[in-house]
This record gives sequence, structure tokens and C-alpha cells, in this order.
Amino acid sequence: MKRVAWLSLFVCSASLAQTPDLTALEQTAQKRHAEWETQAKSLEERLARILPCDARSAGAIAEVKGLSEARLAALSDYMRAVSAKAFAETAAARNLLIAEERRAIEAVRERADAGQEQTAVDIQSDGLLQSINQRSSLRDAQKLLEQITALIRQRLTESERQADAAEKMSPVLRDLLAKFEARDAALQNESAAFEAERTRWSGYYSARQARAQTECSITQIGGAQNPAAQPAKSPAKGKAKQ
Amino acid sequence: MKLSRMRFAGIWICGAASLMGQTSREAYRQDYDAWREVHANLERDAGSGGATLIPQVDRAAARVAAFGTNRAAFAKAAAQTAAQQRQVLQAVTTRPSPDVAPPAVSDLVKSDLQTVTKTIARFADDKDRGIQQLRQSLERERDALAALNESIEARQKAVAATTAAATTLEQGRVRIAETMSAETTALSQNSVELEKETAAWAVYYEGLAKAIQIANAPPPPRVEVTTVAPRNDTPPGIPRARYVGAWTYPISNGIFHGAQPEFVDLVVHEANGHADGTLFARFKLPAGGATDPLVRFDFQGDFANAALQRFPVVTSEGTAGTIELIPGPAFNLLEINFLTDPRPGKINVGNFILVKK
Repeated sequence: MKRVAWLSLFVCSASLAQTPDLTALEQTAQKRHAEWETQAKSLEERLARILPCDARSAGAIAEVKGLSEARLAALSDYMRAVSAKAFAETAAARNLLIAEERRAIEAVRERADAGQEQTAVDIQSDGLLQSINQRSSLRDAQKLLEQITALIRQRLTESERQADAAEKMSPVLRDLLAKFEARDAALQNESAAFEAERTRWSGYYSARQARAQTECSITQIGGAQNPAAQPAKSPAKGKAKQ
Repeated sequence: MKLSRMRFAGIWICGAASLMGQTSREAYRQDYDAWREVHANLERDAGSGGATLIPQVDRAAARVAAFGTNRAAFAKAAAQTAAQQRQVLQAVTTRPSPDVAPPAVSDLVKSDLQTVTKTIARFADDKDRGIQQLRQSLERERDALAALNESIEARQKAVAATTAAATTLEQGRVRIAETMSAETTALSQNSVELEKETAAWAVYYEGLAKAIQIANAPPPPRVEVTTVAPRNDTPPGIPRARYVGAWTYPISNGIFHGAQPEFVDLVVHEANGHADGTLFARFKLPAGGATDPLVRFDFQGDFANAALQRFPVVTSEGTAGTIELIPGPAFNLLEINFLTDPRPGKINVGNFILVKK
């Protein structure tokens, strides 16, 4: 049992130790966000100054889309690391609960042992008191035994308090574990919501690229030009047909 | 000379415990039962019993020392394990940073959505085929933006839920960590208290033995009688083999107090209750010191009817002193205490455990 507990502890510490550096991941996510945000905010303004079939138009959208994907990938890495660390904490809390429940049982045994020792030393004290009548030189030993009795009584009181505290600790820890699990469930929901949003961002940029293609095609005679397919074709051509 | 026997016994048992590794509850409970069995009715018997009780006192002292040491070691290990396991509550719980996805994202999407929606409205009545195519394209973009906006709002709600759950968790953790910390301190104090008790028991048994011996100290004429009496009697429960033979200091994990022996050779012979022996030792001393690391002396005397055997000593330089032979917790272990008159440049005190060759 002890081995299992130690193994769990080791696994937990190992998993905690293996968690990537959250600060670094957070900084990367913030950096990617800032890079995307700057370009995304000015995208429409920049596109307004470029002719629809200008390759720079498709290029600008593709660039912001790429930055968006990089931002979301960094955010995804960060969220995964946060979740891994959080789940490891919960596992450690679960192990702690198991250990504390065992400790509560152990504390009850300790209390029983201390009680047994108290009884034994009381019997010794009685015996010694009777013997003092026959041999007065035992008086010093009796004083020493009294001191031991006091120490054991003190330990008995403390072991009673500890057993009590351990018994009360288990439900409190169970409640805390439920809070750990609630945090993890919330994190899972957040991750799922984030992944859904990530898909929608991709959908939006595809729609934006499609609109840019439409804008180009309706400004072309015959509407055959596809700026996405031929992004390098001369902007001057598009301008001429405008 | 009296390097306290119990202190030495304590050191010995601590050393043994550390060599044995972790102890278990079952082990120390066995020690407890063994102690109580040996102890029996010692206090009741102390009133009327004589020196025959001394070996029983010594055995009980050894048993309680073993029990106390093992129990304290168990309590210490348990406290250390608990402290390690409770570390999880000392660290702040993990939650995602709010800075990685700022709310401004939502504003950007809403603004784009408004622009696209207005543009669609501007082209609503335009019958031009190209414009209709553009409007359809804008409608698809609007739908994508609306869906994106919806998912951003859903994520923001999820973020708020995570924040709330993480805050509740953190508050709970802080509260429990405080209580746990106090309990961890109390647990670590257990072994300290048990060590105090163990030491107190050692003092008690020493006092008990002394009280019994004082009351039964034989008058001088009877000592003469005892000296010339046949020496074949053995202290109850302590055979002479516990003292007689060739003994040596272990090469590794030796237990000592004071100067550390490099090697010790002790030979004890017995004939008709009379002991004679030789001790030859070399101690590890700081380099360059003026003290002679070698000690050699002979001793002889009659075996006493007690666990502790004390003999007068004369060193190779003619210095007088005493040596005590005390049976160790195991059959093949013998504790040695020696003290000689102080002489410049000579070791005059030694205390260590020897192993039978």
C-alpha cells in the first residue's frame, strides 16, 4: 500500500515536473495575439485601398488568416498545458484524500495505543506506590514514573485531538476534491468552447476570402479571374479592368 | 566515566533504525508487546526483590528503548510522508490567464459584423447580377461572423465559469492549507515527544535499578565471601558468552560516542567466574595532533551478578581506570565504556559497540 502511495506521489510529481513552462506559453500566446490583432484591426482599411483583383488583397487576407491560425495554435498549446497541470493537481489532491483517510484510521489506532500505554503506566504506578512501603529508595523512581505518566497523558490528549482532526479533515478534503473536479470540468468546457471558436474563425476567414474572390470576379469582364488561384497576376491588369 | 548508558543505547538504536530503513507499526507494536512481557510486574516485585531483578530491569530498559526508537522513527517517517503529500495544497491552483484572449476580440468581430450587415442592407434592392453575387457572398460572411460572435460569447461564458470555479477552489485550498499546515507541524512534533518519553523511560529504569541495588547493597564482609565463592553462577538471563570471546569494531557503520575508533580488538577470557581481558584500540584523531591514537590495557576481576560488568584497568603505561562491558541488544554485540586517569597526550575515554568475531 505504501509503495502504491509513493508511486502515485512520484507519478504526480513527475507529471507536475513535466508540465511545460506556462509562463513561456502564455507569453507566446500574448505575442501571437498582438501580432494578429494589429493586422486584423487594419485589414478592412487596407483592403479598401487595394483593388479587388490586386494580389495584395488576397495576400492581406491570407496573412491575417495565417496570423489568426498562429494565435489560435499558441492559445491551444497554452490551454492544453494549463489543463494538464490542473489535472495533475487534481490527481494529487485525490491521492492526498486517500492518504488522509488512511491517516485518519492510523490516528484512531494511535489513540488506542496511547490509551493502552496510559493504562499500563497507571498499573506500574500503583505497583511502585505499594513497593515504596517496603523500600523507600524507590521514591525517586516513582517521581520519574510520574513524569512519564504525565508525558503519556499529554500524548493521549494530543492523539485524541489529532484523531478528531483527521476524522474531520476527510469530508473537508472530499469537498475540496469536488472543487478541483469542478475547476477541471470548467476548464474542459472552456477548452471545448475555444476549439469551437477556433473552427468559426477558420470559417470566417474562408468566407472573407470568398468575398474577396467575388469582388474580384464581378469586377472582371467575363468574371473568370480568380485572385486566390492566381495571386501573382498583375495588379495593373485588375486596375485596368476596373 | 559514566557516559550515560541510555544515551549510548539511544545512539545505538537510532543507528540501527537508520540502517534498517523504515519501520512499521507492526514492528513497533511487537516491540511494545515484548517490552511489556519482559517488564511484567517489575514495580510490584521491586519492593521485595533483590539484585536478581537487575537483569530484568536491564532487559526491560533495552526493550523500551527499542520500542521507543522504532515508534519515534515510524512517527517521524509518517510526518515526513504527510508533509510531502500535503505539499499539493501549498501551491496556488492553476487557472488560465485572462490576458491570453482579451475581450477586445469580441469588439472586433462585432464591428466587422455591423459593417457587413450595413453593406448587405445597402445592396438589398440592387438587381445587378454581380451585386447580387456580392450580396450573397456578404451574407455568407455575415453568417460566419454571427456564428463566430456566438462562439466567442459562449467561450467568454465558459471563461467566466472557469474563473468562478478556480476562485472557489483557491479559497477552499487556502483555508484547508492553513489547517493542514498546523496538523503537519503537530504530526512532526509526535516523534519529538516520543523521543522524550523514550529518554524518560531510560532514566526511569536506571533509577529503578539503582534503587533496587542501593537497598540490597551487601555489607563489606559479605563482599569478601562473594569474592571467594565459586564463580560459576551466571546472572539470570545473561550468559557469560555475552562477554567472553574475541570482539572487534566493525569496519563500517560502527557505533561510538566520543573519539571514533579506527579499530578495536578485545579479548575476554573467563575461568571460574573470573574474567581477564585485553583491549587494543586505535582511534581516528585530527591530523597533526599531539594525542597518541593507540590505547592498550589489560583488565581482570570477578564477574558480577549483573548485566553490567565493571573491571579495574591498567594501561600499558601503568595508568589506572575502569572498563564496563554491557551486553548489546543482539547476542553478538557488546558495548564498551572505558575511563582511565587523564594523562597528557593520551586518550582516556572510549565508548563504542563491538561485534563478536
